[in-house]
Amino acid sequence: MRSSTKKRRDPMALFAVLQTTFLLALLPLRTYQSEVLSEPLPLTPESLNVSINSTKQCLHLQWTVHNPDYHQEFKMVFQIQISRFKASNVIWLENYSTTVKRNQVLHWSWESELPLECAIHFVRMRTMVDDARIPAPRLWSNWSSWEKADAQNSLGDHPLYVFPKDKLVEEGSNVTVCYISRNHQDNISCYLEDVLIYGRQLDQNVWAFEFKNVSFIRKTGTNFYCKGQGDPEGVVLLVSKVLEEPRDFSCETQDLKTLTCTWDPGNDTGLIQLPSYTLFESFSGKKTLCKHRNRCDWQVTQDSQEMYNFTLVAENYFRKRSVSILFNLIHGVHPMAPYSLFPKSVSATNATVTWKVYSIGSSSALLCQLQLLGEGKVIQQHNISVRVNGEYLLSELKPDTEYMARVRCAYADHFWKWSELISQNFTTAEAAPSEAPDVWRDVTFVSGHPTVTLFWKPLSKVHANGKILFYNVVVENLDEPSSLKVLSVPAPANSTKVTLNQSSYQIYVTAHNSVGPSPASAVAISGHPGNENVEEGRMNGTEDGFPMSWKPQSRNATGYVVEWCDSPQHLPCVLRWKNLGPTNTDTVISSGAFRPGVRYNFRIYEISTKRMAHLLEKKAGYLKELAPSYNPKVNMSNLTSHSFTLSWKDYPTESQTGFIQGYYVYLKSKTGEKCHRGFEKTFLTDNSVCCKYTIDNPDQKTFVVKDLQPESAYEFLVTPYTSAGEGPLDDFRKVTTPDEYSHILIHIILPMVFFVFVIMIICYLKSQWLKDKCYPDIPDPYKSSVLSLIKFKENPHITIMNVNDCVPDAIEVVNKPEGSKMQFVGTRKSPTETKGTKPAYLDLLPTEKNYSGPGPCICFENFTYNQAASDLGYCGHFPVTPQAPHCQLGPLTSPENLLKTLEQNYMNSLGEIPAGEANLNYVSQLASPMSGDRESPPTNPPEPALCSEYKMQMAIPLGLASPARSENSSLSSTALLDPREHCH
Amino acid sequence: MRAQRMQRTLLSLVLRLLLLCTVATGKCSGKYHELLLQLQRQADLMQDPSTLLDPYIRLQGLHSPVLQEHCRERPGDFPSEDALWRLSRQDFLQTLNTTLGLILRMLSALQQDLPEPTNAEMNVRGFGNNIHCMAQLLSGSSDPKAAEPTQPGPGPTPLPPTPPSSTFQRKLRNCGFLRGYHRFMRTAGQVLRGWGERQGRSRRHSPCRALKRGARRTRPFPEVRRLAPRGQPPR
Repeated sequence: MRSSTKKRRDPMALFAVLQTTFLLALLPLRTYQSEVLSEPLPLTPESLNVSINSTKQCLHLQWTVHNPDYHQEFKMVFQIQISRFKASNVIWLENYSTTVKRNQVLHWSWESELPLECAIHFVRMRTMVDDARIPAPRLWSNWSSWEKADAQNSLGDHPLYVFPKDKLVEEGSNVTVCYISRNHQDNISCYLEDVLIYGRQLDQNVWAFEFKNVSFIRKTGTNFYCKGQGDPEGVVLLVSKVLEEPRDFSCETQDLKTLTCTWDPGNDTGLIQLPSYTLFESFSGKKTLCKHRNRCDWQVTQDSQEMYNFTLVAENYFRKRSVSILFNLIHGVHPMAPYSLFPKSVSATNATVTWKVYSIGSSSALLCQLQLLGEGKVIQQHNISVRVNGEYLLSELKPDTEYMARVRCAYADHFWKWSELISQNFTTAEAAPSEAPDVWRDVTFVSGHPTVTLFWKPLSKVHANGKILFYNVVVENLDEPSSLKVLSVPAPANSTKVTLNQSSYQIYVTAHNSVGPSPASAVAISGHPGNENVEEGRMNGTEDGFPMSWKPQSRNATGYVVEWCDSPQHLPCVLRWKNLGPTNTDTVISSGAFRPGVRYNFRIYEISTKRMAHLLEKKAGYLKELAPSYNPKVNMSNLTSHSFTLSWKDYPTESQTGFIQGYYVYLKSKTGEKCHRGFEKTFLTDNSVCCKYTIDNPDQKTFVVKDLQPESAYEFLVTPYTSAGEGPLDDFRKVTTPDEYSHILIHIILPMVFFVFVIMIICYLKSQWLKDKCYPDIPDPYKSSVLSLIKFKENPHITIMNVNDCVPDAIEVVNKPEGSKMQFVGTRKSPTETKGTKPAYLDLLPTEKNYSGPGPCICFENFTYNQAASDLGYCGHFPVTPQAPHCQLGPLTSPENLLKTLEQNYMNSLGEIPAGEANLNYVSQLASPMSGDRESPPTNPPEPALCSEYKMQMAIPLGLASPARSENSSLSSTALLDPREHCH
Repeated sequence: MRAQRMQRTLLSLVLRLLLLCTVATGKCSGKYHELLLQLQRQADLMQDPSTLLDPYIRLQGLHSPVLQEHCRERPGDFPSEDALWRLSRQDFLQTLNTTLGLILRMLSALQQDLPEPTNAEMNVRGFGNNIHCMAQLLSGSSDPKAAEPTQPGPGPTPLPPTPPSSTFQRKLRNCGFLRGYHRFMRTAGQVLRGWGERQGRSRRHSPCRALKRGARRTRPFPEVRRLAPRGQPPR
């Protein structure tokens, strides 16, 4: 600009002197023209400097505009271009208008969404004068050169970087995170709160992740981290919740010296860094930084400022919120709570309370409200104007009652708000009980003497007027007026027992507390029992209780009393009573103790003028009848084939859950026969068919079930029923009717068995006699009574059989163990010794299975002769030589030899053995297993075997019997006759 | 879980009351076994990760397996287990005392990063008081000043770890520190239990013998004082 002025002066050199004056005159105008009218030149920005603020992720531009010709400030526009990664990649273009002064250093900042560390940025700008004083056209200057902003230069050689570090963002905003990996081979995985995420590659080694609408997770921030081969790298996104506008902003003062403004700050922003709260007052222009997030104190100045215009500003990194109020100091007085509230001079009905208040100003008064509470309810309320000390007399109080006095105060000049309450409890003094105790009595006569149990109800708190300490009972004998008996019963007893004689008495009961006695309650007792024979009536209870009415007996009744037991099922009875006036002839007795299904008995007394009670009526009832809870225990008797009897006489009807109206007898038959007469068919809950008989008389407790079938099974059940229903149908008992003739059999068989048993006993006792009579050991044919009988028969030729006349076929000799001892020449054995000895042959007899002999040996035993021998242990014994071979018995098989032997034996027996002790067994043998000719004579004289006897004939295989050849051994004859062992 | 926490709290309260009693009266218990048992119990209480590490991990969101893998004690933060076992009793107590000072400063810095006011700091202080008493008992002196440490401890540098530049790295660093803290207290408890067992087997380490040997002196939480440089062979 300076060079263009010189060009215009040079052609005018000759006229320089002449024109000097003219030019000097024109100079001011010229100067003005050059400033206003000269053509503007574009101004290029100079000293453009670009810096990076990593904390705020901002590019900071700083430059100057050098214009020596313009001394005044004027408007300019700066067009700024920002490129990323390379200059040609322009990502931002912005015109920045400002007023520029000469040599002014200009600043401009740009916040990058992408962390600046992750990309190289280039910046350039150009300018244009945009001032109205500069005529158009307005031209842009040339672009400045590109300035490079590279934050990566400052990074170290760590293989992995994640940016931005510790980014503070507001909830709901968008955030871009990037990482730079120096190792291209490294496989980088990135996580946002443990969730693997994938980003967008911006450059060869730069990846970006864009998170939109980020949300608050925790105060300590949201973790984003990437991991390659080495340690993880990450950033913490500190997400702040949106700062809310303070609510309920208000101010008040307690003492007109300090203002306290409070507000609700709303939800916490969730960051450790809390928002700041500042209180501005526009009239005074003062402000204060609040120490709390919901309260701020403001000192009232001494210049009597009454009006305040407060503005509360809440501010955090992202937002600024403000609320304002216009506040009149006088209208916002909230006094402090009064203090030192005390009751004084407390009597039974009055109390004076005092308290103090904090003064407000020098002349202001407070309006205090005194409340009196009893049992949690406000019963009195008084307003008192107080400057410093408050006092008030509370009256109409009840004795021995706890009260609470409460006081609160407000600014009297302009009521706005009550102060906090303070309270104090106190209890009024006691007074004598104001009412006589309610007394009733229970009279029982023992040996003609009345024993009176007095009951009284505790006085209500209203009437007790203090703690009842004891009760005085004064017994006055009306027949002996001078006789007084005083009893003191300590509280809380509510009864006492007094034994009287047969006089009439008046009993007075008073309750005493620490102040004095109550009025007396009087009860009169007659020395004789009254009329107790009053018929009991029934009644039904309702939800309200038991309504009842009665008929007065006398016109001079002073009242009536209804008494009952609250829990009659539990002993002892808790006696209750209700006093009624003389005009009452009905009432409803209600009690919280009444329960459904319980029978309550009421007695109504009439009170005479002499306080004597006469029983008027008895009533029983249920609040609500229930079905019987259990069935009677039924006793079954008289069971016959056609009937049985049921009885349940022990079932108490009075203690049931309802009035028992009767009983149902259920009968179930297995055969499903038809119901008998009087029964009706019914269905049980399990749909089974049953016959039911109804007994409608509750006093009938027996029932005969008739017309049953013999030998039939039945089930029966007896259950009572009330108006509410019947008892449980779950305990049927079974019964089976007996056979029709069984009793007859019993009547016959039992005597017969008894008779046989008697006969057996007799036979046993007379066995010896019978034996001697009927079957002696050796019967003497000639002495036999049978013979005498026969002789009278028609066959007179019958004689006694002679032994010689009988030729036996064979004889079997049975060995006995004691054979050696039973020889004819040997000693005799007593019957007792031989009684238990069995014939040895029985043990030696082989079974047929083991038989291997040539043929059976069949023997027949003649019991007529054998029995006695067996019994006595004797048998036909022959002397036995142990060494003698058994084959020597062979001749015995010859009939002649046998006869001889027998004869000899018999004769010897007669000669050597006493009669009756010898025996002889005859055995008939049909077939002999022995080989050889039976007719052949014996080669040797017969020698007796070992103890032998004739026993039952049996088929015995030969060859199996091999008795031991000992002296004591006994061999059966079959063994002796074995030809293989003994004959060969 | 809640019951366990309550149980721990109660135990901690009892321990602290015992400790406060000791501190308040200004007297140390002269009963060696009682003091040793108390130290063992305190070490057991403080080694429990649920008292500090677990809440920290939960609060900072470091529960992912990737981060858990890198939440590990750094070498040099705390004396190694081998080193602790090789120390004499006096040196062990001194090392413990010095390390507790470091722990206290770290815990103080961590307070705002923990979910709720923990008793960890009080526990550490109480533990330090008992260490002081034990040192006194072993030295046979009732003068608290007589417990001045004179011998450096082994290995670790008791300076607090340099705080990392970024919040994320600081989280991991603190996590590793807390893990090391619990590990250190566990090892300390084992060593203390070893004292009890050895005491049962042999009376070689009785307080009387320790008195004869001469004692090294320990004061709870001395001024930050550098122990022996790393690599110094433990005594």
